[in-house]
Amino acid sequence: MIAIDDLDRCLPAATDGAIAALNHESARRRAWQRFAQAGRDEDALAIVEAELVSAQFLGDVEALDRIEDLARRLDDETATRALVLARMASATHRFADARTHLAKAAVRGAPAGVVDRQTLSVDQACGANLDAVLDARQRIAKAGRTEDLVPLGALLADLDEFAHADRVYRQAVAAYDDVSPFPLAWTCFQLGMLWGEQVPEPDFDLAATWYRRAVGYVPGYVRARVHLSEIRMRCGDGIEATALLEPVISSGDPEVRWRLADVLAAHGDPESARVHLDGVRMRYEALLAKHLLAFADHAAEFYAGSGNDPARARELARVNVANRPTRRAIAQLQAIELSAEAAS
Amino acid sequence: MSDHVDGPRSIGDPSADLSDLFAFTSPQDPKRTVLAANVFPSAGESAIFSNVVDHGIMVRRVRVAGLGNDAKFEAAAEELRFSFRFGVLERDAAGEPIQRGTCRLPDGREIRFLVNDEKGASTSDGVFRVFGGLRSDPFFLAWLPAELKPFPNLLQHDNVLCMVVEFDTDRVLDPGKGSLFGVAAETVPIPQPRSLIGHPVPRIDWVGRPEQTNMRLNNPAMSGTDDLRDLWNQQQPFAIAKEFEPLFLQRLKDSFVNWDMRDGKQDWTPEALAANARVFLDDFLLIDVAKPVTDKSHLEIERSTVNGRPYETGGGRTVDADVIDVLITWLVNRDREWMQGGASGATKPGMKVFPYFATPNTELQTVAERVELTAAPDKVWALIGKFGGAWHPLVARISVVGSGVGELRMIETRDGKEIVERLDVMDNGKRFYRYTNIAGIPASHYTGMMEVKPKGTGCTVEWRAQFLANNQPDIVVRTIVGTLLKTGLESLKPRFGAVT
Repeated sequence: MIAIDDLDRCLPAATDGAIAALNHESARRRAWQRFAQAGRDEDALAIVEAELVSAQFLGDVEALDRIEDLARRLDDETATRALVLARMASATHRFADARTHLAKAAVRGAPAGVVDRQTLSVDQACGANLDAVLDARQRIAKAGRTEDLVPLGALLADLDEFAHADRVYRQAVAAYDDVSPFPLAWTCFQLGMLWGEQVPEPDFDLAATWYRRAVGYVPGYVRARVHLSEIRMRCGDGIEATALLEPVISSGDPEVRWRLADVLAAHGDPESARVHLDGVRMRYEALLAKHLLAFADHAAEFYAGSGNDPARARELARVNVANRPTRRAIAQLQAIELSAEAAS
Repeated sequence: MSDHVDGPRSIGDPSADLSDLFAFTSPQDPKRTVLAANVFPSAGESAIFSNVVDHGIMVRRVRVAGLGNDAKFEAAAEELRFSFRFGVLERDAAGEPIQRGTCRLPDGREIRFLVNDEKGASTSDGVFRVFGGLRSDPFFLAWLPAELKPFPNLLQHDNVLCMVVEFDTDRVLDPGKGSLFGVAAETVPIPQPRSLIGHPVPRIDWVGRPEQTNMRLNNPAMSGTDDLRDLWNQQQPFAIAKEFEPLFLQRLKDSFVNWDMRDGKQDWTPEALAANARVFLDDFLLIDVAKPVTDKSHLEIERSTVNGRPYETGGGRTVDADVIDVLITWLVNRDREWMQGGASGATKPGMKVFPYFATPNTELQTVAERVELTAAPDKVWALIGKFGGAWHPLVARISVVGSGVGELRMIETRDGKEIVERLDVMDNGKRFYRYTNIAGIPASHYTGMMEVKPKGTGCTVEWRAQFLANNQPDIVVRTIVGTLLKTGLESLKPRFGAVT
């Protein structure tokens, strides 16, 4: 295994995160304009990819609204459009819809390789056919490309193959051959999750190192900031925990205010914490009303904890398990039910 | 898309994705030559260069090594290189973000400049002048390449990040030793120590003549073939790896056979087609700095040489050159009959003065309104699908001139204004039409679209407009257009029943 200090010295350079974020926004807005101009399938695909980057990295939850808006304007008359709709459905965790669109794409002549790859992603997200998914992921990842290695690492982590997942993620970093910081930030974030949340005995120092690297690549990476903030909070460093969250409050991701409320509560300001938590509750309910499946797991975690509504937590965790019965989703539901039983 | 978004690998960071390369005589001073390279296809209103990429423009002297079916251009080993690099974002005195760039010249000197400063910067002796910044994309692609159907410019309103270097031709190129040159551009990561794992990335993208990747190697009409673009992008400009030459050459031949037969007529003999493929395999933009370079001279050097006669112009590529129509005409019918795409120019023409590339396009405004009705789509379309139909409550009178595509409607509004609009596309099958505003709304590049789609037993009606505000604040024009669209659609609810 490559020692982390060695890896540190040779982490790939990437375009400065502030430049990349500005350029991403430029390309995103332009993609919408191009679609409005000509309505081409290629432009719709560019929109979806751009909006997913906004949602994944910049915590822009309205990106999902924009994706849904685009979905309403498209039909699945062509193979490309069916693939675009499948991608959109996956993004909002409407996996049954995604499978329907993929089936239509196949009928309309979409390349089998593209359909298979999207189906693989849906299966992995739903925890379905995991042996076959693992075989396929390992076969695809033999090409050694970052974009194929990261999903393999995620699957291995889901299967409790933590050491193997770590090796694959590091291989993904080493194999990177572009200058966009987003894929690197994503891989670093996954390593942070692996060591901070997925292994049975978390190594929070190591997780924090990876989250810091993710934020170093993309300073506006909301989820990386939130997770790093949680670790800093756990270490009693409320000042850094707050400093990590404040710059991204405007993203609209409710988890930012939720964690900020936790910091405030821990530091003797329950009134400010309550104001934030009320806001988080309203925000989650608004998001659930529009994208129930996309936010069910996060909202369940909120209500099981700081949101303090075990019944709502259980309801949402059940929705999530029904939609995608992954090991992680089932474990979340079991934990919530155990907690509720203990409380009663 | 002469080289726009030309491989899965180069999609990562758009600011490292080369779109086009230019080489021409300065329209401002015929003693000076201009080289330019563009990155970031489909940039919006603001975009910034990557700070970890070296953007190179390379020039080598070239000689004609064969004519006709033996056509061949040979590049010398000696190379002049112009390297553009850029810094991270800084803040100016007003707190606005700025970026600085550096161009390293072939003689080792460096010119520092401020990105987006139109004046650029020069060496103290005035031999070199450089610019870097956002400009209107001068490239236009007005075909659907797979079907070979004319189409409006697919890059209308796009911007690009542009790097320009201009220099004294005699002092830099010494054309007395030979006036024919090949030019290529590349983007490469700035070297960094990565010795422990992985391997240094040699190149992200490179470009010579327009459309080597997206139309010749990856012919969009040849479905099912392997995508060679990433492999091509990793080749060394002026030195394609010998082991891959047969692969690329065969792909070019196959592609050129396909292009030749797009009109159902064979215009190329196998021998001439093979010669053409060999010429295009050596992918550099040819310019003869001793001969006139005009908007019409692009590819003339290659075409004449393959046709077995001495070339007459300086070839090159000007900002306004119609490179796609030149290329398609050559490949499809070997210049037998000019093939005109759906546009004769880019969003904006080039400028006659430094930096020669037009100012960036401002952001198009979009207004969209939608209503959901209980009536069947055909019933609604029967009313609003007539381009000259009188159904809008703000319209006092409407008259039409002509019929079908090109039809004009003259609208007199209830508050006394006159609006003139032209029908561009009518598709009754899909219940869709698109039109252009000619006059009456303070906007330019105004495109409107009306569409009725089935939804359940009813339908949705969507009306969209896109435009550039003209001499009015965006918000004012958006309000005018928004009111027009919303009032029209709201009036349909009582007629056809609204879905609540």
